[in-house]
Order: sequence, then structure tokens, then C-alpha cells
Amino acid sequence: MLSYIGFRVLQVIPLLFAISVIVFIIIQLPPGDFLTSYVDQLKLSGNDVDESMIMNLTSQYALDKPLYMQYFIWMKNILLHADFGTSFQYKMPVSAVIGERLLLTMAISFISMVVIWLIAIPIGIYSSTHPYSPMDYAFSLIGFIGLAIPGFLIALILIYTVYSQTGVAITGLSSPAYAEAPWSMAKVWDMVPRMIIPVVIIGLSGTAGLIRVTRGMMLDELSKQYVTTARAKGLSERKLLWKYPVRTAVNPLISTVGWTLPTLISGEAIVSIVLNLPTTGPILLNALMVQDMYLAGSFILILSVLTVLGTLLSDILLAVLDPRIRYGGASA
Amino acid sequence: MFNKKSAVVFLVLTLIVALLAGCYGNSANVTSGNEPSSSPAAGGSSAGASPSASASAVAAPGSFKQSPFFDGKSLPPVADRLPKAPKLTNEVPDSFYKYEIGTYGGTLRTVRLDPVNDADLFIIQNEPLVNTPGMLGEEVTPNIVQSYEVSDDQKQFTFTLRDGLKWSDGVPVTTEDVRFAVEDVIFNPELTPIFPLWLKSAADETGTPFKFEVVDNLTFKISFDKPYGGFLLQLAWQGWRGYNDLLKPKHYLEKFHKKYADPAELEKSIKEAGFAQGDWVQLFTSKDLLNTEATYPKALGFPVLSPYVLTKTGDVIEFERNPYYFKIDAAGNQLPYIDKLQSTLVQNTEMVNLKILAGEVDHSYEFLSIPNVPLIKEKESEGGFKVYLNTLHRTANDIHLNLTYNDEAWRKTVRDVRFRKALDLALDKDEIADTVFYGFAKPSSIENTKRNLDEANKLLDEVGLKKDASGYRIGLDGKRFTIPFEVSSQFADFATLGELVIEQWKPLGIEVTLKQIDAKLYDTRNKANELKATIMFTPGPVQWVREQWGQNIWAPLWDQWWNSGGKKGEEPPKEALELFKLIASLRELPQAEALKKREEIRKNIGDNYWYFIHSEDIAAPVAVNARIGNISDTGWGIAHNFAGEQWFFKS
Repeated sequence: MLSYIGFRVLQVIPLLFAISVIVFIIIQLPPGDFLTSYVDQLKLSGNDVDESMIMNLTSQYALDKPLYMQYFIWMKNILLHADFGTSFQYKMPVSAVIGERLLLTMAISFISMVVIWLIAIPIGIYSSTHPYSPMDYAFSLIGFIGLAIPGFLIALILIYTVYSQTGVAITGLSSPAYAEAPWSMAKVWDMVPRMIIPVVIIGLSGTAGLIRVTRGMMLDELSKQYVTTARAKGLSERKLLWKYPVRTAVNPLISTVGWTLPTLISGEAIVSIVLNLPTTGPILLNALMVQDMYLAGSFILILSVLTVLGTLLSDILLAVLDPRIRYGGASA
Repeated sequence: MFNKKSAVVFLVLTLIVALLAGCYGNSANVTSGNEPSSSPAAGGSSAGASPSASASAVAAPGSFKQSPFFDGKSLPPVADRLPKAPKLTNEVPDSFYKYEIGTYGGTLRTVRLDPVNDADLFIIQNEPLVNTPGMLGEEVTPNIVQSYEVSDDQKQFTFTLRDGLKWSDGVPVTTEDVRFAVEDVIFNPELTPIFPLWLKSAADETGTPFKFEVVDNLTFKISFDKPYGGFLLQLAWQGWRGYNDLLKPKHYLEKFHKKYADPAELEKSIKEAGFAQGDWVQLFTSKDLLNTEATYPKALGFPVLSPYVLTKTGDVIEFERNPYYFKIDAAGNQLPYIDKLQSTLVQNTEMVNLKILAGEVDHSYEFLSIPNVPLIKEKESEGGFKVYLNTLHRTANDIHLNLTYNDEAWRKTVRDVRFRKALDLALDKDEIADTVFYGFAKPSSIENTKRNLDEANKLLDEVGLKKDASGYRIGLDGKRFTIPFEVSSQFADFATLGELVIEQWKPLGIEVTLKQIDAKLYDTRNKANELKATIMFTPGPVQWVREQWGQNIWAPLWDQWWNSGGKKGEEPPKEALELFKLIASLRELPQAEALKKREEIRKNIGDNYWYFIHSEDIAAPVAVNARIGNISDTGWGIAHNFAGEQWFFKS
């Protein structure tokens, strides 16, 4: 087991190196760089742009150096000083930009995830044990709607409905009165009702997907012979269900932990943009669009590390939970 | 995958709206106010002699009042914080509104889409050395300086600073600060590797840099070897210039300047800031605050002369009033009236609209576009705000054909003035005003205002563009003549207009295509002379002193030739050269004479149809808290924004 983990960890290193190089190149692929868009923006709004300022900024942002040097400096600072560089857009260290929003992003993502699991798994199990019943159809319908309609659209509809019906404009996660207040119980309580909407929207498609997966897995399991055998031997229906098929059916949950970990950090970018949530998702999108390369690069690098770690984690968890995988893994 | 794709589409849409809004700044009574005889400097070439009297004669010291915000903050009395001759505010002309003496207090809330830039706040904060009421009014009045004097030959400019004027940290402003900015920054080749064009004689690439002379503690002289009457407007308004180029807080910046700083201390600061050893230039640039950077984190603690000082950065940017601000109203109240500014970062323009509807925004001119006006207007009373329809300070979307594109047949055709006239005649400018601007604009008087298809077709026949069997005209190279518009996706109205132009030019038998391209790609292709036809706004027709009449778009090579003094690009033909000269001559003339020249520029464009300026008097909607006083819908919206220190909340 230990050697398996050790081997997997070693595998991660060249992978991350490759990812970081590719990320860095892709961010720089579009024509121009951050300064071109910055200078264009200034010119379009009618500002006189001083040539000297552009030159000074170019050297300040090290944009005059060749690509490999930029990469080298970036990597060196990350590895030696844990310094991800400075965001061109925010004029602040990348860690500060991301850090400011991380707590909230993780809170929303985590709550959404828990809500998804709490809702989807019981429904999935119910649907599979009562297949083709009216309730199963009802859940399927809701599930398909949740899968088919993109979250941002639901968000828009919700904002519109709430505004047109009640006159309340949902313009962020905390009401203006608390927006700048320090953290306190009152602020948290102010946030809770406003958190419901993003959680519901982000959760909806996840819930729908998970219901389908759980239902499908359960139906597979339920038709297997060990279930029939157990039932024939008189095992109570409840114990039979929870002890065997359900345990197998939640396997996909664990194997997707690898993808869950990065989404905890990245948040749902589009939903966040529509709902004006101060999370990290919109930052990444924006950074990519204006080629704020250290911010975008560092962000993607962190996401990649989390994806890789998450996959590793889910492999290990699966190995722990499912003996079939463990035997296969040990021989690898 | 679907989510991601939609994200991109959604984002692009959002961005378009945002940037479309960004280009709606606003515009003023320039067209109506072109009677040079009413200008104070009409008498001759000696513009603006000692116009300072009005400012100093207003309120006797001792009768000044301050905002209760400062009560109990252990500051010196307000009379000591103000200069001996404070400036009586005159940011907008009397015709805009009747100035009301305001009351102190409140927080002005704005929203922004950029992490660190807020155009609303930038304009409020910006303070030029001299100003021109209404942003491009007919006179130039002293602002930060107490008075200025221009020599008769328009070569020498003498400025006197206000005695007792102080930075926001209470340190007096003297000519030493000007000398520092000039000698140690502008004339330091390390900090300023390329000498700024506007500080050379007549803003000419081949001109010699200005000469600088300190007369005494408060007076300094700037002189050029050629007439440069436009210099005052350069200071007052061109490029939204602030005082920051010629006036820097030496006491703050000297510790980052190699000439003044202790080497060991300097090295320590460089290391702290994370720059390479000895790289003081980067340290200095990262500390020095340009006027466009008023909302950046580095503005924290930086001494300024603007109405507000930055107190907080992040998603919410906050400013508090500057205790040493130098302007007063007629009753002796120190400005600004409003105590605080607060700017909130939002994710998209729709959210801006929603925030306006919810009454969470007190002023927004950047993100409101004409198509949104009905929606916002409907909720005016509920949200407690008011929509002002000011004018845009530039055109919105002019039509350009590249006269220097590298294709002989194309060049021959588009350089034929009859061809350009025909296309102009085929434009239905009323329809453009109705469709693109919802009627909030009118056909521009620079070129034809009435559509005449018969004459247009006749002209095209004369040019020699014959029609093929399917009714399309054949170019001089024997291929179908096509005008391929490539427009920046940054502004949604470009495509709206493009679609319309395709329809309007169809009866001529000319094939027109339209493609939206990324803003950066647009810029790259424009600079490389690769755009055949495009749509882009130009400031020239409205902000007439600006030298931007789209020359770099409709004739990139001629523009390069002109700007490089004949070294690059191609020499323009006679008529175009005349236009370039006319435009450049504005820089040399005092304002009254420049106004006359402006007519000649308009006439030259009207005769030659260099590009198609279809609309004028375009509306720029601004959403403002209904309780704010000293604002109106006369003039450019940006001019009202500029006079933000005069706003106050009515109780």
C-alpha cells in the first residue's frame, strides 16, 4: 500500500511540471500581452498613454524577457519563496487576490456538495428501489431538468423572479449594510438566506447528475445475485440495502473526489458572475481574458495540483473501501 | 462543456455591454458654442492674462467652514489648511446649472467592473493644473495653479502656485515639487526613456523638449522654441491629464529616487518590493502615482491634491475627503461636500443595472447604455435615482475604409473621392440615428445628411465600377468589389451599425461583409495596416482639439508618415496632407483661433469624405441618485463627473 502511494506521488511530479509549462504557454498564446490590453483600454477611454510608462511597466512585469525566462522566474519564486507573483490586474500578490476569496468559495462549494449528497443519494436509492413508480418518474423529470438547464440560466430566472415579485434585488452575498462589516454572527446570519440561492443553483445540476448515477448503479447492483441470495436468506430489507448495494453504489462518489477538490476552490464561475458572488471563479476567467498570466497561471497550477492530489486521494480511498480495487492496485 | 461554452458567450456579451458602456462618456455644447467672438481671448494672441483675480477675491480668511467629518480630528483650523487664495470652484459653466451651496456629508457609491479602475472615481479625483469649465469649454482657468501667463508669441508659459497649498498630508506644495517632477523624473533618461510628445514644442515628434525655469518658491516657467498655444489645453484636458506629470510630492518620492535616497535604505526598499538589486527605476515607478492610478493600492498613503484620499483597497475601494483640498464654494465652505466615496466591484453589467434599480448606486455613467434606458427610467421613482441624458464626449461608431490598404485596385477605388461620396450618400443617417441610437442622436452636419441613392449610383458608374449579371459591382481588378468590415467585438453597437450599413449599401450593388474580431486582434491588425474596413469611434468631431480624427484607422500609412516625420509609412496626397497640417496647427494656436481652425477641419472632411461621421449629439445616459444636487443634463456627462466635488446630498 505504502509503496503504491509513494509511486503515485512520484508520478505526480513530472505531471505537474508538464501542466505548468503547458498552462504558461497557452495563457500567452493570444496576440499581445496584458500591457497591450491595458494600454488599449487607457487609449479607448481617451487617456494619453506615455511611451515611457509602457516601457517601465514592461520591464516591471518582466514582459520584455523571453518566455522561458518568465517561466523560470515564476517557477523559481514559487518553489523557493512560495511566491506566486503579482497580479497585473489587481496590483497585488496573487496569493492575496485568491486568498481573500478562498474562504467564501470553499464555504459555498462545500455546503453545495453536502446538500447534493444529502438530497441525491436518498432520492437515488428510493428511485432504484421503486423503479418506474410515479415518484421515480417525478424525480427523473426534475433530474433531467436540472441536468439540461445551465445553472446561470436558472440564476438569471431566479434573480428576475425575485426582483419582479418582491422588488428585492439579489446583488451579492451580503446585504449592503454588512458588505464591509467585519465577520460576526450577525453577518453570517445575514448571509445564510442569501447563500440559499447559489447553493440551490450550484447544487441543482450536481444533484440531478448524482441521482441518475446512484439510481443506475443501484439498479445494477440490485439485480445481482448476491442481493437475491441475501434476500432469500431472510436478511432484513433495510440491512440488505444499506450494507451491500449502497456501499458499492457510492463508489462513483469517491472516485470523483478527484474532481470535487478543485471545484471546491474554483467555484462555479458563471453562476458566480451572474449572481455577483465574490468567489474565485470569475477571477480566473477575467485573468485569462486579459492575460494576467501570473494570476491565471498560478490559479490553474493550484487547480491542477488539487486535481492530481484529489485523484490520488480518491484512488487511495477507493482502495481502502473496495477490496476489489485494493488487490488490483497492490499489484500495480 | 455546455456550461463552459455558455460561459464564454455570456462573458463576451457581458464584456461587450460593459465596454459599450465604457465608451459612452459624454459630450458638451461644443457644436452650439462655436462663436469664437464670445471667447475671452478673442482680442488677440495673448490668451489668459492674470485670470486669477476672481478666485482670490471671494471669501475673506476666517470665514471658511469645514465638514463636520473633521470635527475632533485634531487637524489645524480649516483656514490654515486652505491656501491663502483658495480656488472658488468653477468646474462647469454657469449654463449647466445654477450652483447651489451644498450641505456636508454622505457617501457616494459607485460600481466598477475592473478590479482596480473606476472611471467615475478617476474623473472625480482628477485635478489638472489649469482647467476648462465643462471639460472643453471656451476658456482656460487656473485650477491647481493660482494664475498663469502666456507670452504673446505663445512660447512661454509662466505659472504661479497657490501660496499655502498643501499635499493631503499637510506638507506645502512648492516649485521644488515641480522641479523634482521635471528635472528628476521627466528629464531623467532612466525613468523617462522616451520623452513625452506633449512636452516637445507644439507636441511635434521633431520638436525640441521644453525648457524649465524656477523663478521663486511659487513661480515657474515652461518655454518652447516654437509657438505652442495648445499647451494650456494639453494641461487642462487632453488625455484627461492631471497635475501629476508636472507636480510630484518630492518629500514622499525622494526616498525612492537614487539621487536623494540613502543608498542602503534604497537597496532595502528595492529588496522589500521584490525587484532586482539596484533596480531603483522599478521601485520608483511602482511607488509614483499617475493620475490614472488614483484607485490603485499604491495610492494608499501617497500625498495627493485631489478632493479625496484613498483609505481602503480591495473589492470595495474607499476614499475619504482630503483635509487640505484647495477649493471652496462662494459661502466659504471647503469642498467637497460629500465625505466619502465607495466603489464596489461587480461581475457584470447586468448586475450594475440591477444595483442601480435597487438604489445601491449613486452615480454611474460608464455602464449605462442607450438600450437600457427604458428599463432604468421605468424604475426611477422606486429606486430613488434619476437618469440624466447628457451628451457623449465623442462619436460612437464611425465608418472607416482603409485608404492605404496594400491592394492597388482597392486603393484606386477608395481613394477616388467620388466613390467615398457615393457611399456617404447611400447612408440613411436618420435610420442610423433611430436604429443604433434609439433616436438619441441626429445626423452629423459634417458630411451629407440626406440620402440620395440615384446620385450615389451615378457616381459609382463614373468611378468605373460596372455591375455584373447578379447586380454586384465589379472592382477595377475584375473581381467583385467587396467591403469586408472587421469590427472589434468590444462594442456591441459596432455590429449593430455594421448590419445596417450592409443593408444601406446593398442598393448600390456593393457587397459588404461583417466580421467581429477580438479587441486585441483588432488592434494588432489595425497597427499592421491589415484592416480593409472597420467601425470605430473617434473623439475628433466632438473634442475638436484632440488630434484623433481616425487618421490611424482610415489611413494608417499616411498617419505613420506624418508622425514619424516622413521616415515611415507613405506620403499622403495633397488634400490629406492639408488635413494633417490643419489638425496639427491646432496645437500651436491659442484657443480662440483654434476654434476657427476647427471649422476648416470639418470642411476638409466634408469635402473629402475621409471617413463617414454619420451622427452627432449622441446621448450618454447617466444614472444618478435623485438626491444629488449640482448636476444637470446639459453638457458632457463626463464634465459633470469631473465636477464631482460640487455634488451634495439634498436632505
